[in-house]
Amino acid sequence: MSTPQSNPVITDIFVVGARKGWNIATSSTLPNVVMAFIIIKALEITGALKGLGILFSPLMGLFGLPGEAAAVLIGGWMSMGGGIGVAIGLFDKGIITGEHLAILAPAIYLMGSQVQYLGRILGVIGTNAKRIPLMIVISIINAFLAMLLMRIII
Amino acid sequence: MQEDKVGPGAYLALVFAAVFFSGLLGGNEWYGVFDFTTLNGTFGKVVSKVSLDGETLTTATSAFRGTGGNGAMDGFLFALGLIPAVMFALGMINVLEHYGALRAARRLLTPLLRPLLGIPGTTGLAMIGSLQSTDVGASLTRSLSDDGQLTENEKDVFAMFQFSAGAMITNFFSSGAILFTLVAIDGSTAVPTSIGACIGVMFIMKIVGANLMRLVLAITNKKVSR
Repeated sequence: MSTPQSNPVITDIFVVGARKGWNIATSSTLPNVVMAFIIIKALEITGALKGLGILFSPLMGLFGLPGEAAAVLIGGWMSMGGGIGVAIGLFDKGIITGEHLAILAPAIYLMGSQVQYLGRILGVIGTNAKRIPLMIVISIINAFLAMLLMRIII
Repeated sequence: MQEDKVGPGAYLALVFAAVFFSGLLGGNEWYGVFDFTTLNGTFGKVVSKVSLDGETLTTATSAFRGTGGNGAMDGFLFALGLIPAVMFALGMINVLEHYGALRAARRLLTPLLRPLLGIPGTTGLAMIGSLQSTDVGASLTRSLSDDGQLTENEKDVFAMFQFSAGAMITNFFSSGAILFTLVAIDGSTAVPTSIGACIGVMFIMKIVGANLMRLVLAITNKKVSR
């Protein structure tokens, strides 16, 4: 085992790390989350969120889902919990079934909360901005492949 | 970074890290003392609404963010709540790193992470952490990259792994699991699959996505060097 030269107290080692955490949290996490929440608000009040739902609905049929299910994925893209909320609401109205929920569940997470995670993951890591659209596209591909996979499994 | 000796203490620290950040021992039993989320705790709730329900006065409580918040103000308070977790996680990681956990992780995970994702084994702890918390995963990746332990391409591949289904375990168990409690009109369980199947599909797709990123980077790098 490696023995350090001087034996620092375990609490001191913790505090050094915690200070690193404070610096990352205040200089990266916090400003990025604030920005994400502003974007979500802007999309909501301009009605862009609703417009996206109409635009993408024909695509959903390919995955054995009704057009309304697009709202679940779009909701999920904004926030995972929101996607689940929309899914439960549609299930309650009888628009989507339990099978549809099974197909949608992994997909919601695979493309989930990305507006927020642009800041909380990519912003904190320091990903080059020109790579971000590609990462969003790959996440959406992930989600759609998962829907096909879930159709086979269930 | 020099290749230090990896003794049993380092492996013990690594096992502790894996258990500590996996959420395996979560809950308010005595063993919760070995779980990150349990020790991280939650903010208490404050009364947000009082209403008269017949003869009885009922109160509704919500988190310190309050109810109905939105925009930048809400985002700020939400982010404030993330700070203790990031501080706690990096504090613990510093301690575990001191005892050699990172060296043990690299030793064990390098042969797996290289072929699977094309990233070094040092990312093992960040990977374990990222399944439970996006902020832990991202902060650890940032410090690895700042320390020069990840190349730009490796960083992008690893970021892709984290970005699709971020904090998969925590997020799925905190909201997705609700779907499995829904019942159909005839009283049977509505969703015809298991939580485990969903987790499995998500994990496979996270690896697929990271490899799509790897493929794109390999193709574009070739074009640049031509």
